[in-house]
Amino acid sequence: MSTPVAMKPAAEPATAKSTARPAARLTGFMPLIALVVLVAALTVADPDFLTQRSLTAASRTAAPLIVLAAGATLVVLCGGIDLSIAALASLSTVLLALWLPDLGGLATPVVILAAATIGAVQGVAHVLLRIPSFIVTLGGMSVLSAVALVVSGAGTVRVVDDTPVAWLDLYLGGYVPMSAAMALLVVALIALVLKVTPLQSWVSATGYSESAARLAGTPVDLVKIGAFCVSGACAGFAAVMLVSRQFSGGPTMADNLLLPAVAAIVVGGTAITGGHGSVWRSLAGALVVTLLRVGLPIVGVPSAYEQILYGAIIVVAVALTLDGSKVSIIK
Amino acid sequence: MTNEVVAAPRRSSRRGASFRDAGPPVALVVIFAVFAALSPQFRSVENVQNIVDAAAVLAVVTCGITFVLMMGSIDLSAAGVMGASALTVSLLVANNRNDNDFGLLGILVAVLLGCAFGCLSGLALVLLKVPSFMATLGVSAVGLGVATLMFAGVQPNITDAMLESWAVERFLGFSYLTWIAVACIVVGWLIQRYTRLGRYAFAIGGAEEVLTLSGVKVKPYKVAVFTLAGAFYGLGGVMVTSQLGAGLVQAGDGYDFSAITAAVVGGTLLTGGRGGILHSAVGVVLVMVLTNGLVQVGVSPYWQGGVEGLIVVAAVAAAVIPQRRRNQVVK
Repeated sequence: MSTPVAMKPAAEPATAKSTARPAARLTGFMPLIALVVLVAALTVADPDFLTQRSLTAASRTAAPLIVLAAGATLVVLCGGIDLSIAALASLSTVLLALWLPDLGGLATPVVILAAATIGAVQGVAHVLLRIPSFIVTLGGMSVLSAVALVVSGAGTVRVVDDTPVAWLDLYLGGYVPMSAAMALLVVALIALVLKVTPLQSWVSATGYSESAARLAGTPVDLVKIGAFCVSGACAGFAAVMLVSRQFSGGPTMADNLLLPAVAAIVVGGTAITGGHGSVWRSLAGALVVTLLRVGLPIVGVPSAYEQILYGAIIVVAVALTLDGSKVSIIK
Repeated sequence: MTNEVVAAPRRSSRRGASFRDAGPPVALVVIFAVFAALSPQFRSVENVQNIVDAAAVLAVVTCGITFVLMMGSIDLSAAGVMGASALTVSLLVANNRNDNDFGLLGILVAVLLGCAFGCLSGLALVLLKVPSFMATLGVSAVGLGVATLMFAGVQPNITDAMLESWAVERFLGFSYLTWIAVACIVVGWLIQRYTRLGRYAFAIGGAEEVLTLSGVKVKPYKVAVFTLAGAFYGLGGVMVTSQLGAGLVQAGDGYDFSAITAAVVGGTLLTGGRGGILHSAVGVVLVMVLTNGLVQVGVSPYWQGGVEGLIVVAAVAAAVIPQRRRNQVVK
């Protein structure tokens, strides 16, 4: 018998995962289809789109978003959400810009470590205090923004000597931007670690049915804290990419990446209810979101529609990917 | 099991209600006394007037969000809805962008626009089964996009005498905006206490399953509650426009989170079913006293968001402690 819970009551045993419906199978390929359609549409609208120059620019824009989305995907897979990633990335750009003069090359790992720690702290608060993850991270978002404002003095922190992070601006083999390659590497690394360790099944079990996973002996609390930790580290790494591109850190620099990152996760087809999805999907989702962003001006749509589009995408994508059988009451 | 869900809140409300309800007002008095002892400026009559006047907009927004929280849902759309309604009203009353001069009618249209956005959130929740925090996150983005479209690069400054007077003119020592907020609290309390909508909002938060099994069609009421909340946000946007003398896209920045903070601090549970307008009103004053007092004793105003974030997490954690055992799964 399931116990009543705060946010989402557990499913009745009888209504557990049904076999994949045709619609569900279709939504599985949705991000790839959307990606192909978008590339085709943009090429028709602007034949110059499929040139090396604009593709390079697009992939450089996508890199921080991919990293952010990949980290937060783990939290979503566990059934939670991390709304603090953008604020954490902003704070990390400030910290990196402040620490670069003193720490030099060490600043990058230190910032990523700090971000991972902050993520882990949020995870611990979520697990130990039993607060819904979106409230912890919403509070975290507020706190981190405040800290970023205070330590930066509410202004942009310029980076004078950016040699320690300049390697992210190089091009791999002359064509592929290093930041995009690193983003791909992060996604591959997370996917690989999930695959070769029991983590994959632990994360899915936690997402699909937390109480069942707990009864089966899965270290649910540790898995969740770990997911938040990785999410934080990814936000830190995204911040390094942003600093290497903009030569400065700012207390609100990455704030507008929250919606695109959430959109990337849900467009990729990772169910917001947890369990179903993968980091590869979020990669596809992030590319779709970036192409939309780059493509709107090409088609001649004012960029103000970008926000409206994100809002609509999030709602529609969540509605399509939601595992309806799992949640009897939607709050 | 089901019986226990119904019985639990009732039992605690018999014994624990007086203590629980007394907590926030006592905290308010204590915090006020501490700041009054620390800072001579804080205890001046002008500062008390300042605090109350500054609380007006937050009070109206919190009225709206309280109904949503009572249902156990959450609403992150206030910022977007307020931005859209601020731009709408500033373009409809006498302004420097066009020849409109609709006066009260313009304000009514802005409030109705807020209703429409709220209705959209509610429909996404009920029909598409998108969890409310996702649906309202999306609607917020849509609202900001609509506001940006209307802003169109030129700031609309209002010249409407009536709307401008709201923030300036005083009655019995407080600005008109404060009296509007008081009226909203009274109306909100009447709705909560004496209408079916308010009663059902409570019941949905307390035990939605039971309500559904008793034959109540909860869906229309959920949409209605979100619509009502949207109306309050719309009015909030109008009030911010009156304060600023101009329509800004960022009119509602931060109000969504501050309102959640105020409601939670006032004793409204995020799980729904407990709290109310009067609790939230106390919460609003508590938050304003705290932020004002911290500035008066010399804390940087940048910390405001951070303080709110910590308060929310602490308040939610404190509210969850009595239910720790029942609350097995927290997403």
